[in-house]
Amino acid sequence: LLKLIGVVIVIVGLVLRLRTTLVVAVAALATGLLAGLPLLSSKGVWQDVPLLTKTGQTGIINLLGKAFADNRLMTLFIITLPAIGLSERFGLQEQAAALIRRVSAATVGRLLFVYQIFRVVQGALGIRLNGHPSFVRPLVFPMAAGAAQQVKQELPEQTVETIKAATAASENYGNFYGQNLSVVQAGVLLVYGVMKSQGYELSLWSLVFYTMPIVAASLLLGGVQFALLDRRLKKELEGQQ
Amino acid sequence: MSWLFSLEAVYVLTGILLLCFAALTLNDRNHSHRFGSALFWAVLGVIFALGGVLPYWVTGLLVLLLVGLDGAGQVGKSAPEVNRKQMKPRRNEGHEGRKEELEEGFDVSSSSSSLRGEKPLLSNAEIKFEAEPAPRIGPRIFWPVLAIPLVTVAFAVVFRLLRLDANRGALVGLGFGGLVAMGLALWLTKSRPRDLLDAGRRLNEAMGAVNILPQLLGSLGVIFAAAKVGELIAVGIQQVIPDGNVFLLVLANCLGMALFTIVMGNSFAAFPVIAAGVLVPLIVKPLGVNPALAAIITLTAGSSGTLLTPMAANFNIVPAALLNLKDQYGVIRFQLPYALTIWALHVLLLWLFIKFA
Repeated sequence: LLKLIGVVIVIVGLVLRLRTTLVVAVAALATGLLAGLPLLSSKGVWQDVPLLTKTGQTGIINLLGKAFADNRLMTLFIITLPAIGLSERFGLQEQAAALIRRVSAATVGRLLFVYQIFRVVQGALGIRLNGHPSFVRPLVFPMAAGAAQQVKQELPEQTVETIKAATAASENYGNFYGQNLSVVQAGVLLVYGVMKSQGYELSLWSLVFYTMPIVAASLLLGGVQFALLDRRLKKELEGQQ
Repeated sequence: MSWLFSLEAVYVLTGILLLCFAALTLNDRNHSHRFGSALFWAVLGVIFALGGVLPYWVTGLLVLLLVGLDGAGQVGKSAPEVNRKQMKPRRNEGHEGRKEELEEGFDVSSSSSSLRGEKPLLSNAEIKFEAEPAPRIGPRIFWPVLAIPLVTVAFAVVFRLLRLDANRGALVGLGFGGLVAMGLALWLTKSRPRDLLDAGRRLNEAMGAVNILPQLLGSLGVIFAAAKVGELIAVGIQQVIPDGNVFLLVLANCLGMALFTIVMGNSFAAFPVIAAGVLVPLIVKPLGVNPALAAIITLTAGSSGTLLTPMAANFNIVPAALLNLKDQYGVIRFQLPYALTIWALHVLLLWLFIKFA
């Protein structure tokens, strides 16, 4: 049961907000050592070194090195960064913003639903971004607030709070479920890598294929929640007039 | 020729790119942790370029060096370029009148999200700062970004036609898509290659050491597997759940994934553990379930947990701060009914599939 120490270390480490990379590495070392694995394989330079090796057993550091090298595919997206970075300097975000602004949506709920779809499409194209600082705060929230003001100029504080929360949520809904629609996104690559190490060589495309029902459900639920939001806002705003 | 279009070639390419990033960092006098960061990205570059030929114990020690550098707080990012002027707000938000807060908001997000991200983030603080107004390129600026998925898919299709592994094709295509996009971006913006690399370097540093987290978590899963942690969890769950009750197994799988994600704030960290402990030994192996379907549903069952946890600060807490919400947990509160419903749908979908497929 001591082997579960790795899981405990990860949980405690993250709750204490220690550095994630460090926590994960310590958990890996601790789990391996408590399971009685040697630090290094008894091969080459380390042949028969006492304490560090055990005959016939693969060392933790060897396992770590092999797994890290095998999993390089998960970090391959770094090669796309120069092009994305340079495009951003030349107005990528602004152009994307112009694109979404052209979508005219009369109500808060409809706007947020359109934004959710927009994020799903971005995910499917393999574009990874944190939309909270780049889209939600500077763009989507002001637009949503503007849509609500078409009903009533002075928005009650409670209404503004609800619109803020809903805007952030639409970003998360679109981002979390949409990103698995692309074979170049970290989530799909992680599942591929983990299942491979468990002995299942999956097709990346089958992962994308089988996530589609969930993406559909995520959009449907988003549509329902944002439609309900519209009804609630309508009541709140018109009821006060 | 065939080596040129291999995965190893793409890794070498990425390794060289990382070494360029490291060189730029080393030259950057405004950098908070010049030497530590340069060493970090250089070591990662070496692992990428030579990972296929280095003895595994050397790679393993290099990984520990990476973790040590980050753990000691030696990996940072560059200060925004000197003399950068603030760009005008993209859009006149007259009725809001909160532009100053908006600028602060950017700082909040970029500093905290780079530390603890679930997924690598592109929240580079520099978006709003430019040395001078960039020449207008218009919507054509999408071309480089769109080239990446197009080339990726094209490679996958060609590999499939040549009866090679289409997965490999997609990964190789991602590498070459990055190259094609670099070429297009250079040509469109008429920038110098140095600017291209520097833009990539800054984006990479803004994301920070969390970039290697998926790779590291994947390795943790392998060590867990070697230590037979998965079997241990599996045995524990088997003792709780009556024999062969498929619904309860599916429930345990999805609940475990969501709870683990809530605690860790990170579905990517939870997945290797749940996959090794529950999904594979209790569901995929004994029931002969389609592993791709079961795996991807399990992953997104974790996303329901991400919607509910303050531990996923960059998705739930930082945005609340960005938007000046009075209630720190306002975003989570709004997401609660959605998260519970979609989680239940995951359970239902997986169960129905096993039952009827």
